[in-house]
This record gives sequence, C-alpha cells and structure tokens, in this order.
Amino acid sequence: MTSVYASWITLLSPLAAAVAITLGGTAISRRAAGFVATTGTSVAFAAAVVAFIDILGEDPERRSHLDTAWTWLGAGKFDVGLAILVDPLSIFMMLVVSGVGSLIVGYSIGYMDGDDEERRYFAYMALFVFSMLLLVQGGNLLLLLAGWGLVGLSSYLLIGFHHERPNAIAAAKKAFIMNAFGDATFALALFLLIAHTGSVSFGALEEVTGAGSTVTNLIALGLLGGAVAKSAQLPLHTWLPDAMEGPTPVSALIHAATMVTAGVYLIVRLHSIFEAADVVQDFAAILGAATLLVAGLIALVQTDIKRVIAYSTMSQIGYMFVGVGLGAYANGMFHLLTHAFFKALLFLAAGVIIHALAGEQDMRRMGGLRRLMPFTYWCFLIGSLALVGIPPFAGFFSKDSILAASLDRGTLGAILVVVGLAGTFLTGAYTFRMLYLVFHGSRSAYATEHHLDDGHEGPLTMLVPVGALAVLSVIGGWIQFAPFWTPVSDFLAPVAEPLAEASNWMEVVASVAAVALGLAGILVAWAIYDARRWRVPRWTAVRRALEEKLYWDRLYDRIFYSPAVWLARATLRWFERPVIAGSAVGIGVGARESGEIASEVQTGYLRAYALALAAGLAILVLVFVSVR
Amino acid sequence: MIAGSAGNVVVWVVWFVAAFACLGSALAVVSFANPFFSALALIGNLASLAVLYLLLNAEFVAAAQVLVYAGAVMVMFLFVVAYLGGEADAPWAGGPSWQVVGAIAAAAAILVEIVVVIGVAAGDGLSNEGDISSAFGSPAEIGRLFLTDHLLAFEVTSIVLLAAAVGGVILGHHSRRVDDPAVGGRG
Amino acid sequence: MLGPDITWYLVVSAILFSVGALGVLLRRSPLIVLLSVEIMLNGANLALIAFSRLHGESDGQVFAITVMAVAASEVVVGLGLIVAMSRRNLALDVDRLNSLRG
Repeated sequence: MTSVYASWITLLSPLAAAVAITLGGTAISRRAAGFVATTGTSVAFAAAVVAFIDILGEDPERRSHLDTAWTWLGAGKFDVGLAILVDPLSIFMMLVVSGVGSLIVGYSIGYMDGDDEERRYFAYMALFVFSMLLLVQGGNLLLLLAGWGLVGLSSYLLIGFHHERPNAIAAAKKAFIMNAFGDATFALALFLLIAHTGSVSFGALEEVTGAGSTVTNLIALGLLGGAVAKSAQLPLHTWLPDAMEGPTPVSALIHAATMVTAGVYLIVRLHSIFEAADVVQDFAAILGAATLLVAGLIALVQTDIKRVIAYSTMSQIGYMFVGVGLGAYANGMFHLLTHAFFKALLFLAAGVIIHALAGEQDMRRMGGLRRLMPFTYWCFLIGSLALVGIPPFAGFFSKDSILAASLDRGTLGAILVVVGLAGTFLTGAYTFRMLYLVFHGSRSAYATEHHLDDGHEGPLTMLVPVGALAVLSVIGGWIQFAPFWTPVSDFLAPVAEPLAEASNWMEVVASVAAVALGLAGILVAWAIYDARRWRVPRWTAVRRALEEKLYWDRLYDRIFYSPAVWLARATLRWFERPVIAGSAVGIGVGARESGEIASEVQTGYLRAYALALAAGLAILVLVFVSVR
Repeated sequence: MIAGSAGNVVVWVVWFVAAFACLGSALAVVSFANPFFSALALIGNLASLAVLYLLLNAEFVAAAQVLVYAGAVMVMFLFVVAYLGGEADAPWAGGPSWQVVGAIAAAAAILVEIVVVIGVAAGDGLSNEGDISSAFGSPAEIGRLFLTDHLLAFEVTSIVLLAAAVGGVILGHHSRRVDDPAVGGRG
Repeated sequence: MLGPDITWYLVVSAILFSVGALGVLLRRSPLIVLLSVEIMLNGANLALIAFSRLHGESDGQVFAITVMAVAASEVVVGLGLIVAMSRRNLALDVDRLNSLRG
C-alpha cells in the first residue's frame, strides 16, 4: 500500500543521494553536491508526508505494517529480514528526521560554501539521514542496531570533518568510543534476547518478559545503556560538548534534532520490555532528571556559544527521558518534535553568527549584534523563548505536559517534577544569559572588526531555513495543547499506551509553575547580563567545579584513559619492543651468530676432516652392528 | 685347529711369514721419516700380500698385484719421491694433541669393531668354505666374468683410467702464469 | 682348505686397514698419506679375496682387480697434485694447506 511504498522511498532516497555524490566525485560541482543531498532529503520528506496522509486514512487500530524486502539472515530458526515497520511512531520520526534534515542540509549549502571538501560533507550528511531513517524505520532489532551503528559512524565522520584539526579528530574519537560502549551493551542485550527467544523481532520483546525478571532487567539495562550513550545522558554524556568541533549544521542535525533523540525513540519503541523491567525504566527517568540538572548548571558557565546550546540539548533530552521513563511516551515524543524545531533553530542561528564573524564562537568576543543582525536576533529570541517554555511558543506545550504527567506518577514523579522545575529555572537563566551576551550590550571590538558587512546577514540558503524553523517554533507547539486537543497523543497511543495521564489540574499547576520559574530565570539573567544590576556571584569553588564540567572528564580520564595509555606504554616497553621487534631482529642476529659458530667447524685443517671421517666410520659400524 | 699333513704345516708357516711381513711393512710405511724408505716398505707390503693371495687360490690377482701395483704404481711413487728429494719430516710432530688421541682412538675403534664382527657377529657364516673348481681364480674365469657379469664395471674402470691419464697430463702441464721462467722451479 | 681359516685373513685385513687409517690421520707429508691410503685399499682387497675364496665365487677377485685399477688412477692424480704443489713452491705439509678455512 501507499504508505509502505512511500516509506521505502523515504528510506532510500537519501542513500541514493549519498551514493550519487560519492560516485560523482569531482564530476559534479561542490554546490551541485549540496543540491543533490538536499533534493534527496526533500524527496524523503515528501514521501514521508505521503505516507503520513495515507496512514491517517486507516483505522487507528490497524496502522502497523511490517514490510520485508527479502530475508537477510537465515540460520535455522533464526530469521532476520530486511524489513521496515510503518506505524505511527516511525512515521512521526520520519517526518521529523527528513523534515528538519532537509532544512538543515539546505542550510549547509550556504554554510559550507567555499569549503574544499564540500562534496564529502554532503555525502556524509545524506548518509546520516539514511542511517537515522533506517534506525527509526527498522522492522526488527537487528536493523535498528544497524541504523544505530551507522548513525554513530556518520556522527564520527562528521564531527571529525575538519580532519586537519586535532581537536576535531579527538572529539570524533571520543564520541565514537563512548557510543561504542553503548553499542556494546545494546548488542549484549540483543544476545540475551536471541538466547531466550531465538528472534530479534519487536514481538520477541513481548515474549521474553515471561523469562524471569533477571533476564528482562538485564536486557532492558543493556538497551538503556545504548540509549544513554547515544543520547548523551549521564554518565555517558561527556562526548556531546566536544562534538561541537564539527560544523554547525552537523551539530544542529545530529546533536540536537535527530541522533541524540534516538535513545528516546528506542525507549518508546521498546516500551514493553521497559515496562516489564520497571526498575530500569524508573532508572532511565532518574538519569534523565540528573542529566537535566547537571547540564543546566554547567551551561551557566560556558563561554562557547555552541557549547551552551549543546548542554541545553543534553538537558532537554533529560526531560524527554523523564517523560518516557515515567511512561508518558507521547509527551516525550512531542517534546522531541518541538525540541527539534527550536534547537535546530538556535544552532542554525548561531551558525549564521559564527559565519558572519569569520568563525568566532566565543561569546565573550561577541556583543551588541542585535542591531547588526536583526533577523538573526529575532529568530534567536523566538528559539530561546521556545526553549524556556514561554507560551505561545512551542516548548511550552511539550515540556509542561511532561511535568504534568510526572505528577501522576507518585513519589518518584513528584521528586522528578521538582527537579524538572529547577531545570526550567536554569534553562531560563543560561539561555538568556547567552542571548544577552551575544546580542545585547555594546558592540564588541571583535565584532566591529570582523563583521563582514555585505548588506545582508548571510546567504539566502542559510536564512530561509532559519526563518522556517522560527515559524515552526512559533506554531509547532499548537498541534497539541493538553488537555484541550491531543492529536499527537492520540496518534501515538496505539503504539505505546501511556502510563501516566495528567489530569487537568496537574496540567495547570505544572504549566503555571514552569512558566513562572522560566520567567524567574530570564529575570535573573537580565539582571546580571543586561541591566548589569547584579554581579555574577563569585562562589569560586562552585564556579571551578562547573567550569570543569563537574569533573566528569577528569574522572573518565583517570579511570579509563590513563590506565589504557599506561597499559599501552607498558606493553610497548615490555612486550612489543623486546619480544616482537626483538624477535624480528633476534632472528637475524641469531642466524648470523649461529652461522658464525657453525663456521668454526671449517678450520681448513685437513687432518681434522680426516679424523672426522674415521670417527664417523667407527660410529656407523657400531650402529649397524648393534642395531642389526 | 688344523692339524695334520705336512702341506698344511707349510701353508701355516708361509702364512705366518707373509702375514707378519705384511703387517710389519705396513707399520714401517707409516712410521719411517724418510719417504723413500716408506715407499720401499710398501713394495714389501704388496709383495707379501701377493703371497697371501696365492694362498687364497687367487693366482691371477696375485700376478696382477705384483705387476700392476708393485710394478707400475710403486715405480711411479719412487719416481716422485726421487723428484721431490724426499726430505725427512718429523713424522709424528705437529698438530693439536686431540688429533693424535682422536686418531688412535678412531683407528683402534675400527679395528676392535671389525674383529668383534668377525669373531662374534658373523657366527657360523665364516666357517664353511666353499669347494672350488680348478678354474677358480684363473685368468679365463676372471676374463669371463669381466666380459659377462661385470661388463659395466669393466667399461667404467676404463673410463676412470682415462680420466686419470688426462688428469695427470693436465696437472703436469707447465702453465706459463704460475711458472715464471726467471724464477724457475724444479722443472 | 689348507692353512688358516678365512677369519685369520680377515683379521690381517682389519689390521692393515687400521694401520693405514692411522697413517692417514697422523702423517703430515702428503706423500706418506697417499701411501697409507694404498695400504688401506690393499687391506680391503685382501678381505675381498678372502671372501671370494669363502664363497667359491670369483666375483670378489673381479672386484679386487677393479679396486686395483681405481687405486692406480687415484695415485696418478694424487702424485700429479703433489708434483704440481711442489712446482709452485707450496710446503708439502698437510697442516699448512688450510686455505679452505671458513
């Protein structure tokens, strides 16, 4: 049926674009590569829309279609097909990924203009979009894992895109290794699943819940490990700020709108096993809450504009984890949608600024850009308000519904609500701190010096997507306003029944409290950074701790990196050099030395040779006589 | 032991004489300092061996031994000894001590082993002498064998002799490079 | 057969062989060494003739004659070498001929 065909087109057109760019090589111009990639992702979006419309026409209870292209792996009873699953959840994600993706890829045409390796960039971007779509459309866990790994790969390739920069390479490695850890736990969970059910279909997850709580918990824990790594939650979060070494559109697409939300998608898709292992699900919510708090605190002291937004992403995904951890699946997904809009908007707007200031990302060298770049300023402001959750912008509708739903979840929910509200305050503070530092105040010397003033703030290919996302950040939230109209929840309900239903008064309380605290945060930021009424609190110890990102990096360095380096050096010194290199040299030296020793038999002394003959004869006769 | 007729006794006596002459002259060859005396001793050795061959009914071989070996080969030796001047060298001097010890040990070992084999290991195999016909050891018999059963050996031997002759010529050739007429040699 | 058994002849042959071996191993003049080799060959010849008599077959004697022919050839070449050595004023001392040292 149409939705299935359209879904296949969605999946394959970015792949076709990537292949086309790769095979085209230098035959296609750099700019053309950008257009090929944009076309690929736009076609994917169009097909996703078609699929969406088609599926809306179906009966809500029968909206799940699993279409297998062919059997990919068959081993006895174990059967894995190349299959895509077309259901409300996957179409939701397809729309987000391809929609926001095509906007960002289009933006990249302007942003990456002039770069020597632009074609490689667009090939990687198209590859990434394909991988993400494979992840969300995968019809069984193995294909999901394949997409999972491929997005990790694309992330690595794109973070390290400027491969001549050592920082970028290091950041790419860090991201990949931490994600590999998550992939490993994911794979272990899969192994357990296969061991107990012999299948990797999504249905197998329902089966295994009967296998006993230990197995279920372990599988859920392994899957959670993968989600935590991919979504940069505590404790596997340290890679995300460093990933900002990649080009800004990459940060927007991968590390804000799509890849990092894969963990949230995973929990929703596999909600049955998480519900069975409810300890793990609660743990996910707790991790999300901890992350949102920690990230919010660290964001307060960041000086790089992209890093503030990165920590903000971490924090907001924490909210999503709280949501799905408590069973408010649709709420979490809705926040994913709105977050994609305003976070991508913030990143792309930051990209415009960075582009205009010739690559400067340090906020302390910015200032007073409000009059210089008004369009960017207004878009950034819209994005910031959406992020803090001020009505009528998008974030208000989604974030507050999560908080409301958690009120329905007993003690744990109550605690998490408090944390979430604290996070809202922090969000207001750091977001507007960023805004004021960059746009308000007097124009910094650097800005005056370096701003390219050629009449407009940036190329059209960059400004149009920013504008589009700004519009979406304004109107995007209105598609669901609990409890008045809830199309998103209704759409996703057949896939994952929510465990938490907020009542009306919960909604009101949550909304009022969140908005109040958000405004309070904005006020504090205004007082310190704009009106300059208060001064930044000294609190040196706290400040130092936050600047060191709460010592997480140092901890990992101490636990993992230093021992690994020590081990490598020790192995080099004690094993590699003496044994391996030594044996290679030693074989040569040994051969020569034994040859020298052996050649001492050749004395040239004739009588010794004759003696040898005679003695040999004597011995041989003896042998022949005795042995017979 | 054999006892009996006078012929037997004569044979025994002749045997002892010839055997001791043989061994004595062999020792003499090895021990004399002067190579001339060694060569002469070897002639004696060959002659006594011929006697022993006669005692073994190998008449033709005995004759060949005297004619070829003692006659031709030893004459060659004597010519060369005369040519070289036969300087006496200290026969047992020189060389490392282990050479002497080793040599004696090896030779003794070989001797002992052979004697053991003869006396012990061979068992009864050595006591039944076959009957011989009157043609045994005669030139006719040897010639017949050479031209029928052992024809290959015969022909190969002739090639070996040819090779030796050619080798002798080459080795004896005056080469202008090495032999500078001004220096001269002994030639 | 009249006279001693074959074993006696074989003992003589063994002693001849050993004495010859001693000479080869212990003398330094190549000429004497060559003579000692001759003794060894003769010892072998004696054994051959003795066995030929034992079995009543003349093949042993044929073999002995062949050995004699080969010994003669070898003596020719050996003496030729010795003469050539002395013509080049090389010392006729086996111990001094060690240029194959390696």
